[in-house]
Amino acid sequence: MENGIASQGEGRDPSGFLSEIIGSSVTVKLNSGVVYKGELQSVDGYMNIALEKTEEHVNGVKKRSYGDAFVRGNNVMYISAD
Amino acid sequence: MASQLLPLELIDKCVGSKIWVVMKGEKGMLHLLEAIMSVQLTQTLCTEFSGTLMGFDDYVNMVLEDVTEFDYSGNHTKLSKILLNGNNICMARLRLSSECNH
Repeated sequence: MENGIASQGEGRDPSGFLSEIIGSSVTVKLNSGVVYKGELQSVDGYMNIALEKTEEHVNGVKKRSYGDAFVRGNNVMYISAD
Repeated sequence: MASQLLPLELIDKCVGSKIWVVMKGEKGMLHLLEAIMSVQLTQTLCTEFSGTLMGFDDYVNMVLEDVTEFDYSGNHTKLSKILLNGNNICMARLRLSSECNH
């Protein structure tokens, strides 16, 4: 089957994109609308995310910052490369 | 008999094209607002994404480029490249050329 596999390549399919953005600064939006911005340390198959130098934004306003933060994957709406 | 097109094959045909993605609505908020305002708000409470589909996987997680996010409060957000979690995707379709002026 050619699903996804045909389009594999640098940063094109989900796993390629993730390996491309590891270590760079990202924006993670949760289903609740809360946004976390930080350096992407790692992601796994559940979209569990470890962030460094994390800022928490609620309704566009910066609320808190964390050195290290873990986000459980089921809450993630998207991961955006900044 | 026409050959059958599987759902994921349909999405595979959209790779490289501009698509619209509609997310599931926020049920809790929806019911609350519907109760207060006694109106049907389903249409306005879904987040939507428009962008070029670069790839996807078996869970229909999608990599999108040149994305505009439309949230239910009417805000537009531009994003260069995102991985969209397939868990909350409700519907996706090709964008018509007449809609590509955002």
